[in-house]
Amino acid sequence: MAGGDGDRARAPKRYKSSAPSKAALVDETAEMNYADDFDDDARDGDNEVKKRDFTKLELKPDHVNRPLWACADGRIFLETFSPLYKQAYDFLIAIAEPVCRPESMHEYNLTPHSLYAAVSVGLETNTIISVLSKLSKTKLPHEIIEFIHGSTANYGKVKLVLKKNQYFVESPFPEVLEKLLNDDVISKARKAPEDCLGGSAFAVSKAAREIASGHDLLDGTELADANEDKETHSFEVYSSQVENVKQRCLPNALNFPMLEEYDFRNDTVNPDLDMELKPQARPRPYQEKSLSKMFGNGRARSGIIVLPCGAGKSLVGVSAACRIKKSCLCLATNAVSVDQWAFQFKLWSTIRDEHISRFTSDNKEKFRGMAGVVVTTYNMVAFGGKRSEDSEKIIEEIRNREWGLLLMDEVHVVPAHMFRKVISITKSHCKLGLTATLVREDERITDLNFLIGPKLYEANWLDLVKGGFIANVQCAEVWCPMTKEFFAEYLKKENSKKKQVLYVMNPNKFRACEFLIRFHEQQRGDKIIVFADNLFALTAYAMKLRKPMIYGATSHAERTRILYQFKNSPEVNTVFLSKVGDNSIDIPEANVIIQISSHAGSRRQEAQRLGRILRAKGKHQDRMAGGKEEYNAFFYSLVSTDTQEMYYSTKRQQFLIDQGYSFKVITSLPPPEEGPNLSFHTLDEQLDLLGKVLSAGDDMIGVEHLEEDSDGKALLKARRSAGLMSAFSGAGGMVYMEYNKGKGAKKKDPAKRHTLFKKRYT
Amino acid sequence: MVNAIKGLFISCDIPMAQFIVNMNASMPASDKFIVHILDPTHMFIQPNMGDYIKSKMAEFRDQNSYEKPT
Repeated sequence: MAGGDGDRARAPKRYKSSAPSKAALVDETAEMNYADDFDDDARDGDNEVKKRDFTKLELKPDHVNRPLWACADGRIFLETFSPLYKQAYDFLIAIAEPVCRPESMHEYNLTPHSLYAAVSVGLETNTIISVLSKLSKTKLPHEIIEFIHGSTANYGKVKLVLKKNQYFVESPFPEVLEKLLNDDVISKARKAPEDCLGGSAFAVSKAAREIASGHDLLDGTELADANEDKETHSFEVYSSQVENVKQRCLPNALNFPMLEEYDFRNDTVNPDLDMELKPQARPRPYQEKSLSKMFGNGRARSGIIVLPCGAGKSLVGVSAACRIKKSCLCLATNAVSVDQWAFQFKLWSTIRDEHISRFTSDNKEKFRGMAGVVVTTYNMVAFGGKRSEDSEKIIEEIRNREWGLLLMDEVHVVPAHMFRKVISITKSHCKLGLTATLVREDERITDLNFLIGPKLYEANWLDLVKGGFIANVQCAEVWCPMTKEFFAEYLKKENSKKKQVLYVMNPNKFRACEFLIRFHEQQRGDKIIVFADNLFALTAYAMKLRKPMIYGATSHAERTRILYQFKNSPEVNTVFLSKVGDNSIDIPEANVIIQISSHAGSRRQEAQRLGRILRAKGKHQDRMAGGKEEYNAFFYSLVSTDTQEMYYSTKRQQFLIDQGYSFKVITSLPPPEEGPNLSFHTLDEQLDLLGKVLSAGDDMIGVEHLEEDSDGKALLKARRSAGLMSAFSGAGGMVYMEYNKGKGAKKKDPAKRHTLFKKRYT
Repeated sequence: MVNAIKGLFISCDIPMAQFIVNMNASMPASDKFIVHILDPTHMFIQPNMGDYIKSKMAEFRDQNSYEKPT
């Protein structure tokens, strides 16, 4: 029965690409229905794998009142219509990884990493099991109980503490430390204590008593974590080895994952920073919740907070800094967002202007005072080459300071090696990563678990939409059939390099795009962004439709001018953007996105682009369900059917679908009656366009490569090379030339030198 | 004098017709199977090619559709 249902449910997906082509073969001689049987054959195989039988699970008598199903393989299904949904959601998001969250049923998965995160926010093994069994409709399968026991038994026993610029591994159990030191990697990383020689003696100190706050679960089970004053044992490790030590302790190796906590209230060594949240900054409920996970027991935990774009990540960051009230290093991806962060700090907190400084290649502000906020980019900190004298001083300062909080924006875009560098350079008590999309195509996301910490909180997009905190977006995939001529060229082997530009320049797609722009500009008065990764297509579309465009090479002045016009002038309602618009350009006015080409199957790009229009607009009550503007944002993805684009498009949507968005498929755009009102109506025009596409050189049709792009393998070709003004102007190089000559080329045998000079050269 | 040929009548949409035409063009001369292209959506081909075309088409469609790994 389960198998049969699954079949029917999956069938539409399999047919997705074939349905529109209606490629039915009519056989004149034999009356066989081919189409049916070869699809059946193909499906029989995977039925075996996907079938999971849970009929043996025992239902509790009052199962109607309980919100979730827990299966033996670690998957948990949550009914969102249950009255207990809110409490159950808060609990599940703490202990399990969300897999897919559509409107009425959520799927979660219990993993060792997610349980590690649960323990690090203060939940205990027994609590997890008892709450889970309270919420579950069925008796908890013993596999799950064993799994939770197995993966949490060792958690929370070891802590990594930073004291006075030195790292210590702490544990109340000396035998655990003993075990850790038996490992090669860790024993090498240990800094031998000066007074005793290689002995296994650990430094013993009194641990501060843990005051765990009660957790508001279901019936308000208070979990007073009444630890008595325990002796803690610790040993010091080299700061350069910290990452290796942490990695060795993860579940796949020694299985003693470390918790990183910072007792900032009792930190008397580092100077306090005078900053408070301004009274008008009112964190929304979900922002409060994410912060409460971070500061659960009065200490600050390291970890990642996941909030959708436009949901107010920066307020969370600023609030965290205001609670810790110590020096804060804030890392952003580029100079524009550095300015934005500095502005956010001034906007939401009472920090004095002289305590905040920006450090970018063209804006080097010196630190003043003992504590302060420094906003800079990942590149500036991780840069390995020669620096100018100014920035060398600042970097030295960053390196020597003990930071209270390391705030990292957009953690998903930064390649792991750069993180390593940044984290090894800066010494921080607590790290907070912020991101909207915790997916990468190169599967490096798990690295973040040991580099930063576990995921502390992840908001549910649909709940935020329902609460009116982010815009309610209608997503649509517009299917544009290829024209005969374009498809013929697409299929030819010699055009394999031009495939992309052929399906992007498909005249039917162009007409659909033109129609949508016209419709939204004229009928609704919307502001539209059109995204195209392909530069050739971007220029061709923008020229033909006579709209402004911005791409990598557009100068800063022109960008500002176009964006200003777009924001303020009623004449300019549409702007064409290349990849540069994905992250860094902030356009709160726009509420329609039309995507005509994209970076292959990148789920992150799709989500980031959607993020451009997520900032809620209009009056709050209008946006609620049933209000007059229930949908006020539109996301169209134009896809040429029967091409590779279909594959990429479905893949790209996965992330948003997992967040609960559904894509409506539109097949009849533009409506046939538009006919000659739109461009490329006649065959001649289409052939002319085809000619242009085919004669374009290979270099023109490629995908734009941007400096700041760094999402994995696909973009390895483009790397940011260090950008210091002094180096570009040549001033940097000249200074060092002289030294080079002296040291390298003309090195004389020191014995032959006059005694007066011997000292200088050795 | 009328010559009768046994064959297969295919009706499909425009892109698929192009796909079949392209397939035909890539074959050596002796294996060409299209007897006559009637219009952009209909054609008449050799009777034994039905299964082959179907398998090629299925392959092409699979390349263009993404299934979420489980």
